[in-house]
Amino acid sequence: MKRPQSLGGWLKVVLPWVLLAALLLLPAASPSDNLIRLLFVTAVWTTTSLGWNLLGGMAGQVSFGFAVFFGLGAYTTALLMHAGHSPYFGFIGGGAVAVLASFLIGLPTFRLRGPYFVIATIGVTEAVRVIMNNVDITGGASGYRIIEDKPFNPLEHYYTAIAAVAFAVLVSTLIANSKFGIALRAIKQDEDAAADLGVNPYTSKLWVHAIAAALTGIAGGIYARRAAFFYPGDVFAFQTGITILLMPVIGGIGTVWGAVLGGIVIGMVEEQLVVKFPNLHLMIYGALLIVIILLEPDGLLGLLRRLFRLFRRKREDSGSPDAEQVLWGRGGVEGRKL
Amino acid sequence: MDSSEYLDLLIKALLLAGVYAAMAVGMTVIYGVMKIVNLAHAGFLMLGAYFVMELFQRFHIDPILGAVIALPVFFLFGMLVHWLLVRWLPKSDTPTLASLLLMFGFWLVLQNAAYLIWGNDDQSILTPLTLSSVQIGEISIPKVNLVVFAAAVICMVILQVVFNRTWFGRSMRALIQNPYAAKIVGVDDERTSRLTFGLGTAFAGFAGGLLGMLFSFSPDFGRQFLLRSFVIIVLGGLDSVSGVALGAIVLALVETFGILKLPASYSPALSFALLVIVLVILPKGLTSLFNKKWKAA
Repeated sequence: MKRPQSLGGWLKVVLPWVLLAALLLLPAASPSDNLIRLLFVTAVWTTTSLGWNLLGGMAGQVSFGFAVFFGLGAYTTALLMHAGHSPYFGFIGGGAVAVLASFLIGLPTFRLRGPYFVIATIGVTEAVRVIMNNVDITGGASGYRIIEDKPFNPLEHYYTAIAAVAFAVLVSTLIANSKFGIALRAIKQDEDAAADLGVNPYTSKLWVHAIAAALTGIAGGIYARRAAFFYPGDVFAFQTGITILLMPVIGGIGTVWGAVLGGIVIGMVEEQLVVKFPNLHLMIYGALLIVIILLEPDGLLGLLRRLFRLFRRKREDSGSPDAEQVLWGRGGVEGRKL
Repeated sequence: MDSSEYLDLLIKALLLAGVYAAMAVGMTVIYGVMKIVNLAHAGFLMLGAYFVMELFQRFHIDPILGAVIALPVFFLFGMLVHWLLVRWLPKSDTPTLASLLLMFGFWLVLQNAAYLIWGNDDQSILTPLTLSSVQIGEISIPKVNLVVFAAAVICMVILQVVFNRTWFGRSMRALIQNPYAAKIVGVDDERTSRLTFGLGTAFAGFAGGLLGMLFSFSPDFGRQFLLRSFVIIVLGGLDSVSGVALGAIVLALVETFGILKLPASYSPALSFALLVIVLVILPKGLTSLFNKKWKAA
């Protein structure tokens, strides 16, 4: 591993660990129950955001259907817990079922060029929700209840969610720095060129979709266990898929920390927005999406970088734009092919 | 079930196919020329329905006339949207991440603006036509379906003439076939794109108005038809206008006769299943079947 050269580089290495330590030690400071709950929700959302970012940000495949994995994770966990298994086994089962579902969507659509994948992801949420509304063993449209024979322990849920998000960050960073990650970015930029260099776009997309689905399924299971009650119109809502997509786009698509930033913003802000502007909050997201795509494709992270660069240029006039790009990597959506 | 009931269903399916074709054709021309998957199509459909409803309730304009008025209004609206947003997108010959997210964001804005204006109650357009029907032997056909079908077919025919006989139609076809060659021979890419986006939006508004006469609608109205439009244009081979008609007929038949075996609430699952089957078996659309035969002959 290279030694970081600049202040920014050091921050990049140190900050995640500081953040993780703070989150782990936080319960010692006896925070309010609401803060713990909010952080739990944020951690669950951020996990799904990181999952989406692997597929959408790194490989450039937009999916509107992540609610399917989230919901399947929730239902699988619930059913496994109902059958007497440990919840942690349930989370893994939820991830596994989500992976299977990802293959079902990916196998027919990734083989083809063009917008087929994104079209299929819009349909799949509707289809699965309708089916789940009519399936008897999960209670159909009236939902499913998880019953645990022990007292409700918010901290256990909190730590599970933190573990999940830490795992998602780890997986994302490993993939971003691996040959696989380079292959994914190559696919995003030019599928033909990537194929010429020996990358198999079909299998690469299929696998990254599976990994993303697994993370989302696990998050869904963790969410379901704490919520204890959920129904298809909630976990399989098109809206859930939208929220999962918005986080990495708002934070900064294609970068691990952008996805985390987006998850934190939405996790913390979503509830307030929904309460204050019940009908307006999606419109705000829509407008934000338009502004981000047209003006700052790198999202909030891009905005921060721009500020940081401005600040640095005043102090010391060093570093060419090229160096900046190497240092920070590139995110953004401009001109990226599907 | 006897044969007259099957005939009844068949007629209903064909009448539905007319509206479905008008609904999907706007999306097809936009995809064909600009390679943009217009997710805001759902928003335009919904706006079309409310536009016709407002004209009907405030000015007592007949809904069919209202849908025709929607054509020029939405044409201008589409050109405005293109000028404001779409033209800034990077050009590409495959759909980009940016174009998908931009159109999706715009759909969210339209949808929620509609929630603000009209609330989330279900609306419907009721005219004397709605409840009367034509009786032919044992088969009764609601008049409104007939009128809507006629309006849709007339508009499709006009579009076909524009497509085949005018300079604008020729530039559109050139851009669909080969954007680079089209630009070399002097097709104005920017202008044709703007007009095409206007045309696609106009048809979305028009079809939305027609759909609003057949079904009840809310600001979330377009979403169920977005998937159907996709299925139709994938069946039709993504960028052919005549393929759209064929795709619309197939989807309408599958949906109408699917009700015999499955509860009506399963229809989104049915369209999705159809989509997946087509993608696996005939990824280039139904028209590829005929093209192959012609080539072989």
